[in-house]
Amino acid sequence: MDWTFGLTMTIAGMGVTFITLYLLTLLIRLLNKLFPHKEDPKEDSK
Amino acid sequence: MEAFLDALNSLGQGFLNMTWESAVMILIGCALLYLGIGRKVEPLLLVPIGFGVILGNLPLANLSAHDSGGVLNLLYVSGILTELFPVLLFLGLGAMIDFGPLLANPVVLIFGAAGQFGIFITLLIALGIGFQQQEAVSIAVIGACDGPTAIYVTSKYARDLLPAVSIAAYSYMALVPIIQPPIMRAMTTKKERATLMPAGEKQVSQKVKILFPIVAGIATILIAPMGAPLMGMLMLGNLLKESGVVGRLVDVSSNTLANIVTLLLGLCIGASMLGGNFLTWQTILVFLLGFLAISLDTVTGVLLGKLMRVISKGKINPLLGAAGTSAFPMSARVVQKEGQRANPKNFLLWHAIGANTGGQIGSVMAAAVMLAIMNGMGIMPLG
Repeated sequence: MDWTFGLTMTIAGMGVTFITLYLLTLLIRLLNKLFPHKEDPKEDSK
Repeated sequence: MEAFLDALNSLGQGFLNMTWESAVMILIGCALLYLGIGRKVEPLLLVPIGFGVILGNLPLANLSAHDSGGVLNLLYVSGILTELFPVLLFLGLGAMIDFGPLLANPVVLIFGAAGQFGIFITLLIALGIGFQQQEAVSIAVIGACDGPTAIYVTSKYARDLLPAVSIAAYSYMALVPIIQPPIMRAMTTKKERATLMPAGEKQVSQKVKILFPIVAGIATILIAPMGAPLMGMLMLGNLLKESGVVGRLVDVSSNTLANIVTLLLGLCIGASMLGGNFLTWQTILVFLLGFLAISLDTVTGVLLGKLMRVISKGKINPLLGAAGTSAFPMSARVVQKEGQRANPKNFLLWHAIGANTGGQIGSVMAAAVMLAIMNGMGIMPLG
């Protein structure tokens, strides 16, 4: 068995996938802070 | 009279050239048709795949995906070997998907990562069994629960395994409601499964929905450029949908184009399943390892869910971790069902949909990372 390949792929693969998705959660939080949802004024006036 | 007999002789050539492998494959094709039509298991795929298997294995018909110059060979070479079909499917998928629940509750995106860990563990096991590096990667990616991604990776690295990997990926995707619940129940206590989460749907602004596919597309492609075709098309499809200004393109991507590609993809995959390369022990191993990959994805997802429950002081239901696979929306429905079974007041669907769409991104990301690492290690795709 090719341990170098297997372990590199497993550790780096899991790590990079996890970190990338965590970074995406931070990006989403930032977007939500920059552009918060506002209630539709038309609905409020009804 | 002699001419008449010659003509009859020519007509019977199909029967004379029938081998036992062809006959078994035709029966398998009929079984797939039965599953698709009779049992309604992934009919959009199993019907074209089943008929493709029959066409591809009829002797002298020149309709196998490997018969040079045949019609299906042309589609196979131009649509599968170039990876065009899976990439186009992702455009349609992006145009259908709603990232709203994920954007409103971004923490569930983490489950989309944990839901892919089974892929990497299965990769190690496949290597241990003796599969080559490229084959092991292709088999492991079945765990992504994502047919187009599995086809994309396998067509790059292990074309001989393409029929087995694609059938396994699509079959297990449909079997998620059977595979996941026993694992989820075994991994959690009833108290954990009964954890209530707020049922209200949070809203996000349309600007966020428009910006997300652009920002996420750029970020993920910069990290792992090898997955750019899949991620790029997924995010383009979603941008078309959320922009609200190209309704016709959304309609074409999510309906006409997705349907045409699904038909041709299924037909080509079916026509590539020949007795010689499918009726092997290797195929059985591929199916077993694929099952293991999806089961391990559920295990790792639920384990992260349990950890998140502890960190959040009981605010996150660990079942959400099982929705981190890419089987959309089957995994989310399973989570909802199991959550309500433990506590009838539980309404997890909205959160689970968020985790499930996170799984879509996670599966593409995991595949892209694997391709990038292989590229970095000098393991090049097939020409």
